[in-house]
Order: sequence, then C-alpha cells, then structure tokens
Amino acid sequence: MSTCISCGRKVTPEEKAVKMTCPNCGGITIWRCEKCRLFGRTYRCPACGFTGP
Amino acid sequence: MESNVDTQQQISETLLLPQEVLLSAGVHIGTRVKTKDMEPFIYKVRPDGLYVLDMEKMNDRIKIASKFLSRMNLSKVVVASSKRYGRSPVEMFCKVIGCKPMTGRFTSGTFTNPAYSDFFEPTAVIVTDSLADDQIVEEASQCGVPVIALASTDNSKMNADLIIPMNNKGRRALAIAFWLIAKEILKEKNELPANGEMRYSIDDFETNG
Repeated sequence: MSTCISCGRKVTPEEKAVKMTCPNCGGITIWRCEKCRLFGRTYRCPACGFTGP
Repeated sequence: MESNVDTQQQISETLLLPQEVLLSAGVHIGTRVKTKDMEPFIYKVRPDGLYVLDMEKMNDRIKIASKFLSRMNLSKVVVASSKRYGRSPVEMFCKVIGCKPMTGRFTSGTFTNPAYSDFFEPTAVIVTDSLADDQIVEEASQCGVPVIALASTDNSKMNADLIIPMNNKGRRALAIAFWLIAKEILKEKNELPANGEMRYSIDDFETNG
C-alpha cells in the first residue's frame, strides 16, 4: 500500500488521494492523502528536493 | 551598491521575460490581504499596504509547472477560468497547447457524474483562481486529479498540488502567465527551439474590451 509523502500514513483505496509524478524531476511518484491535500501540507521530493505545493 | 546592481542584473537574466515587461504588467502585484499559505511567496509590503510577490519564485514555478504539464497527455488537461479576464488567455492557451478549456460557469458533476452528457475525466486541472473556481478544485480533489493553481496573496493552498504565485486578477498579468506557460511547454516538448519565439504574441492572449 502507498504512503502519503507528507504525513507518512498509508493511503487507502477509498480515500480521495492524489497520485502524481514530482512536478520538478518527474522521477518520483508522489502520493498525497486527502487530509494533507485539504490542509495544504507541504511535500518534499526525496530525489530533487522540490518542496510543494 | 555595485554588488546590489550585479544581483539585480543576475535576477533579470534568469527571468523568462525582461523584468520591465513583467513589472509593467503588474504580475508581482498582490492584494492587501495576506494568507499564511502565501507567506513564503511574498517579497515585501508596499507603503500603501499592497503585498508584493517574489518574481523569482513565480519564474521558477512557471518552469516547474511547464515541465510537469509537458509530461502529460495535454488533450486531457482541463484549464478553467470563471473570471472574465481569464477567459481569453485560457481559450488561447488551449488553442496553442491542445488542452480543454472550461470558461464561465462550471456545471457541477462534470468530473464526478458519469451520467452527465458533458462528463469528462481530466489528467490535470489548471485554475486561474482557487477561490473563484472552487467547484472545479473540489471536484478535481474528489477524483484524485492534480490541481495547478495560479495564486495571489489572498489565496489558500487548499486542495492545490502546485501553486504558481502571481497576480491572477490583472488582464495583462493573466495573459502573460498563460503565454509564458504555453511557450515553456512548447520548449519542453521540443516544438519550439530554445531561443525561438511563439507565433502568437502576448496581445493575442489578452482579453480585449
């Protein structure tokens, strides 16, 4: 099961999470859980160090 | 004093457009309202109380958003604007890039109700203002679609996956934003040489009247 990149929790299939590649490098697949998206929590790409949103 | 001039020159060289063009269009001008989410993108406060956005960060984010979009199937990318000044830039952007424009009123259920005749499943959504286009942001978040939002100092990061900090209220500023993103996407896709110019000018993207 995938984990949220911001909070590290497991992302359940019924959750309104988002799956995308890193906007900067495109090498890493980023999962953001519903809560982290809603609260606008920051995420950091482990490969290139890009911090979003 | 000399080092300050050198730094200014370096900043001007890294920008996608000459600094004078960006300043005259007011792409850095924010509002008198500041949100905590937009604090990292704010450069300073003017004496009249207007918050000014950091142009370097705006520049970087435009490049990153263009890279992100160029990796996607652009025919399934939705660009939305319910604002009047955003409609013409969005339609022109979609014409150049091949995305799907959604201007004016957004019908609820377009992304979430498969029984609706105009149902569409996007791969990414670009909005001009997350406050004005809240319905499209909400539906995109329900579908798990990445949202790219142009945000001024009064916007929030809620449900947005990538923020482009810039003036999203000005007519010229919106035209420049979409023109720059379109140009960078074409460069990323090797449809435009590195020093090449687009067929369309910023004036073509701007709303008239």
